[in-house]
Amino acid sequence: MTDFFRRYSRDKVGVFFGALLLLLYGVALTAQWITPADPMAVNLREVFSPPSATHWLGTDQFGRDILSRVILATQVTVKVTSAACLFAVLTGVPIGMFVGYRGGWIESVTMRATDMLLIFPIIMLAIVVVVISGPTETGVIVALGLAQAPQFVRITRGVTLSIKEELYVEAAIAAGSGWLHILARHIWPNISTPIIVQATLTLPVFVLNASALSYLGLGVQPPTPEWGQMLNEAKDHLINAPYLIVGPAAALVIFVLSANLVGDAVQETLNPKLKKRK
Amino acid sequence: MIRLIVGRLLFMVPAAFLLVSFLFALFHLIPGDPAVMLAGDNAPRSVVEGIREAYGFDQPLHIQYGRYIAKVFQGDLGISNYTRDPVVNSVIPRIINTAQLAFLSMLFAMVVSLLLGCVSAMYWNRPLDKFVTVVSLLGICTPVFVTGLLGIYFFSIYLGWLPISGMSSWRHFILPVITLGSFQAAVLTRMVRSCMVDALGKDYITTARAKGAPEFLVVFKHALRNALLPIVTLFGLGLGHTLGGSVVTETIFNWPGLGRLMVNSILTRDLPITQGSIFFFAMIFILVNLLVDLVYAWVDPRIRYD
Repeated sequence: MTDFFRRYSRDKVGVFFGALLLLLYGVALTAQWITPADPMAVNLREVFSPPSATHWLGTDQFGRDILSRVILATQVTVKVTSAACLFAVLTGVPIGMFVGYRGGWIESVTMRATDMLLIFPIIMLAIVVVVISGPTETGVIVALGLAQAPQFVRITRGVTLSIKEELYVEAAIAAGSGWLHILARHIWPNISTPIIVQATLTLPVFVLNASALSYLGLGVQPPTPEWGQMLNEAKDHLINAPYLIVGPAAALVIFVLSANLVGDAVQETLNPKLKKRK
Repeated sequence: MIRLIVGRLLFMVPAAFLLVSFLFALFHLIPGDPAVMLAGDNAPRSVVEGIREAYGFDQPLHIQYGRYIAKVFQGDLGISNYTRDPVVNSVIPRIINTAQLAFLSMLFAMVVSLLLGCVSAMYWNRPLDKFVTVVSLLGICTPVFVTGLLGIYFFSIYLGWLPISGMSSWRHFILPVITLGSFQAAVLTRMVRSCMVDALGKDYITTARAKGAPEFLVVFKHALRNALLPIVTLFGLGLGHTLGGSVVTETIFNWPGLGRLMVNSILTRDLPITQGSIFFFAMIFILVNLLVDLVYAWVDPRIRYD
């Protein structure tokens, strides 16, 4: 672990954007206490005031402070995407491990179904699930998680297939261990690292799709702020208040950019061969 | 080749069947009474009961299921809650609009990514390559609705050159196509570049250079031809993603396409239209996937003999 950090720290871009990402997570965790104004407070006397010393990013059509709303939206995004990522891992990984280890017709049916779902873009799957689960915070978490789960099924099955041929698994079978014990004790510890890395790598995809859903009006509902939804509202006021798009757009791009670059840096640190090719 | 086509077309039959079953399930998976949903929230009880009987929601599930399947295979997907038009009539023209947008965006993305990717690989690790890499990274991290809003602000509001929404003339196509295409172009440029860097590192490139072939020919004939196989695969995947991205792009530019129809129907709780648009979107994805597979088989004969 210390070796990992030592090698990671050599990657300057990775360190910079890692720090930025940590900062964003810090903002998300402390959002309630660091907003300069109440992100929900309607003030009809200060509607559409351009950026100023009191409102750094201006105010929206209800006179709400944009900076405060962007900060609170960071928390919403981090919460939704982390939970969705966890949901995808918790549904996809057990299925992938089970069918990869068991094999047989269960495996072929599951993989056929997974391949079929992988034909569809994640955003489409998420929209279809939202129709059922409803555009609430939980609904969006379930939708994004389920939409990404097939990818985790496929990856997990792949690594499980190679691990189950190992001698220690054979030894465990010979010693009379049940399949559940083998999966939990022998296979999971050996596949957890690539899967956790994969989960971090897909984080930007979760963020992009979560904000796309809320841009479409199918995500977290107002008045709770979300970047995509703030941009959707800003679109109606582009002529008189174009500054409304600056805050949410910048926050979204910076978040996705940092998450992408940190993912790349982590992958390169774990697998130095990748770097040579670049 | 013919066996492959027939096999894949046969695969569509169970896929379509599963899809229709899912659409049927949608009636009952959505929270609330389907009859109330069709009648509207404030409809009187008699109307709700009338609809329940007319649609057969009072019948046992397996009978409802059989009826629904039979109707769908006769091309009847119900009528819209709002316009009272048959779903098929409102969906079909939308498909053509979405296809135009997706096709032009993909064309834009392919041309841009091939050019930028090749140039980037030619100037590997030099300032031009680094510039292209940074731009494509930024492109990947910028969602289409951010690009779209910036485009609308700059070109439609600030400069006043291009229309904001609709699709009545060729000028209406510019912003949506570039918005959707540039995201895809950014994704593909990175991949084309890495395919080309791989290809340019091969021995036959050294041979070509050693025998004195001009650099332009080395890149665009020797390297590109050999890198084409993975690139075709990428373009195939890209087409699916472009169709997915069209949902958001259509919403930004009020494009009268299938994606916006679907999103609007969800927001207005027009379930028959939602079912119809999901059905056609899914069929389009399955068809596109089939076409892409056939193109692979055509480009790479090894697949045909598998």
